[in-house]
Amino acid sequence: MSSLLNMNIIIPDVLLLLFPFIVIGIRLFCDFRSKLPWRIANFGFIAIFVLLNFIPLASGEGRFLISNWKVDDFGVLMREVLMISAILGMWLSKDYFEHGADGKPQMHQIAEFIGAIAFATFGGVTVVSACDLLTFFLGLEIATIPMYALTAWNKKDQLGSEAATKYILMGSVATAFELFGFSYLYGFAGSLHFSEIQQAVAAGTSPLLWLAVLFLFCGIGFKLTLFPFYTWAPDVYEGAPTPVTAVLSVTSKATAIAFLVVLVFGPLAPVQEQIAPFIALLAGTTLFVGNLGALKQSRLRRFMAYSSIAQAGYIMVALLGPATMAKTAIIYYLFVYAVSNYLAFFVFGIIGHHREETFASLRGLSKQNPGIAIALAISMFSLAGIPPLAGFFGKFHLFFSGASTGHYAIVAFAVLNNVLALFYYLQLIKSAWVDEPDGHLTPLRLTKRQRSVIITLSIAVVIIGVLPFLSNNIFAGFNY
Amino acid sequence: MNLMNCLILAFILFGIGVWGLMRRRHLIGMLISIELMLNAANINFISFAYFSAHDSTAGALFSIFVIAVTACEMAIALAIIVTMYRRHKSLDADQLRDLHD
Repeated sequence: MSSLLNMNIIIPDVLLLLFPFIVIGIRLFCDFRSKLPWRIANFGFIAIFVLLNFIPLASGEGRFLISNWKVDDFGVLMREVLMISAILGMWLSKDYFEHGADGKPQMHQIAEFIGAIAFATFGGVTVVSACDLLTFFLGLEIATIPMYALTAWNKKDQLGSEAATKYILMGSVATAFELFGFSYLYGFAGSLHFSEIQQAVAAGTSPLLWLAVLFLFCGIGFKLTLFPFYTWAPDVYEGAPTPVTAVLSVTSKATAIAFLVVLVFGPLAPVQEQIAPFIALLAGTTLFVGNLGALKQSRLRRFMAYSSIAQAGYIMVALLGPATMAKTAIIYYLFVYAVSNYLAFFVFGIIGHHREETFASLRGLSKQNPGIAIALAISMFSLAGIPPLAGFFGKFHLFFSGASTGHYAIVAFAVLNNVLALFYYLQLIKSAWVDEPDGHLTPLRLTKRQRSVIITLSIAVVIIGVLPFLSNNIFAGFNY
Repeated sequence: MNLMNCLILAFILFGIGVWGLMRRRHLIGMLISIELMLNAANINFISFAYFSAHDSTAGALFSIFVIAVTACEMAIALAIIVTMYRRHKSLDADQLRDLHD
């Protein structure tokens, strides 16, 4: 009986796995112009998200199914972040299937597109649920492989296929590095199961373990765009269609972060103190390089790429802290980051419909359409971490987690870098609010969906920061 | 034939893969180099499973999964490279220059 009761908590996961097959299957039996797959996709994603919210938190060690599928607080909250990202990505992409944007032609096959997003989301869910290296590896691959296809979705766009080629070459190299790391970890522990690896690591270290850690960090460094391995990100973010860029910057980043969290606080937990300087070095260089790169950008998606590289650096700072505090801070920040980032991308989507996605296209926005300009300002201030908004509290928890184990140098460096970051976020706001337009502006048209999503997300960014009881849900789950 | 020999073989194969990836400018050549790197990891898994691990089935299974996953990855990679070839009419990696700072 208890095993039957336990099955309840994986219903959302099973539905998410079936979801792409259902959507793509319905699309096969429908008329070409039918709206049915789109409606079912909406219903399905939202239903899964609502079901996730029924899973009670604060369950201690988490529940295990078939000994290899773990559902714990971190996993449930990560699932919610990933589902929010999938839903918003789906809504953002809808307009790109109705008209071209940013000089790129219209996209086709929305059902398969949504199916690919769902597969990537399921990959993220697998990563947070994994209890052994094999599931872990498969989850990471399920999360990455659809992303390659999504990047190249616009077959008529030359930049898209170039971006996808770069992405898949880099991504496969990352996979090879990770696998090599996994194989050394397996050789070191003699088993694939996380708990046994943890015991072996706690019993004593050896050069084999350090080699494994090095390879694993190289591999995940590619996916998380950490310092020496970030070079593909600006190209891919710029070449991919805008909704794919948004999904990449949230879902794939969240999955990569979750991978690191599971690894550092799972099998590698006994040596966290020893690898802390290494993590601090990666975090510091990554956020510095991201901030420097963003300073000189003129195209919006490339700018967002560097901004998201810097954000990855900030999130890495939290990994230095104790387990529960770091997990809480990272989850909270991922919620905030997802909402702020999607708000920015929705604004870029509206602008990109009629103009190029550059800083210059933002000129005169505040006079022409103050609502959108306010939404853009809210999202940029939140990403920069200005006090009343959600981004500030997110960053505060990240830095607090890093500082609580005494890594003051890296926290101070990150805070100083935040000033640098503020400069380029303000530049973007300046082009929207201060700069005069050069001549006639094409009018901006908003669909009902875009208007309601922008209003909701703007309110969410303000409220999550101002009303802490919303976030208390997250913190309560960890008894923090 | 002991564990160390196998590990050194795998490491050398991995090195050849990395070297090939940096030297080759042909996209298919780069894919083959990546395939070498992935298979080097497979050799590691199998040799650990054979010589040292107490859970030896897991290691052998892992390499089979890796082969399947690699097949998916290469299928997507080739599909993307075909779309790129239709646009660029070339498989030279140096042609990938439209996206830059």
